[in-house]
Amino acid sequence: MSTQIVMDHTGDRRHQFDPQNARELADAEKRFKELTGLGFTAAERTSTGQTMKVTSFDPTAQETVFFPRLVGG
Amino acid sequence: MDFLLRTWRGSPDPLRFRAVSDLYRIVRKSNSPEARGRRLLRRWLSEGQLAQFDARNFFDVIGCHTAKRYRIYYANVANVEELDKVGRPIVRYCFIPKGDLVPGDVMLAQKIALETDELAALAVANRFAPQPQRSI
Repeated sequence: MSTQIVMDHTGDRRHQFDPQNARELADAEKRFKELTGLGFTAAERTSTGQTMKVTSFDPTAQETVFFPRLVGG
Repeated sequence: MDFLLRTWRGSPDPLRFRAVSDLYRIVRKSNSPEARGRRLLRRWLSEGQLAQFDARNFFDVIGCHTAKRYRIYYANVANVEELDKVGRPIVRYCFIPKGDLVPGDVMLAQKIALETDELAALAVANRFAPQPQRSI
């Protein structure tokens, strides 16, 4: 199972999907596009532990984190 | 909570109630937004960053564009400092994700931003003088 983690005021919301399931994969891609369209940044971790910003849906990603647009505080 | 009250009413042993009550409190605390944010952050830190965070409640990141070192403290506002070559803070930044996020989430967003899109993060940041008490 793969997971999309969306940061929010509760800590986060998690959406799990099976990348082998076409319908779940389509839902995950739709969610990715909706969130990034709203200004969320998506990031993945590489196998070496580095973080990587992603701008298009990666069906092979095990875990993707989304955080809202950054603003000056 | 009803479960706890039933346990308490049915129990002749106050210690038993206290044990259940303590367990309930621990489970509830470990699932709080702050605890969830902290757990997520810890999972995304590199080995070195995690060791530093566990020991000092902050961790360092290297900016992807300038290779400058930044220190991110456990807080959700004005918690990022740029360090000079010997590790002294030279400027403090405030840039945070929109919304009311917990410190662990804010720190993870800041880490990702500095490691993957440093200049864009700094472009939106407000700058302040570093806090003297944070110097080491």
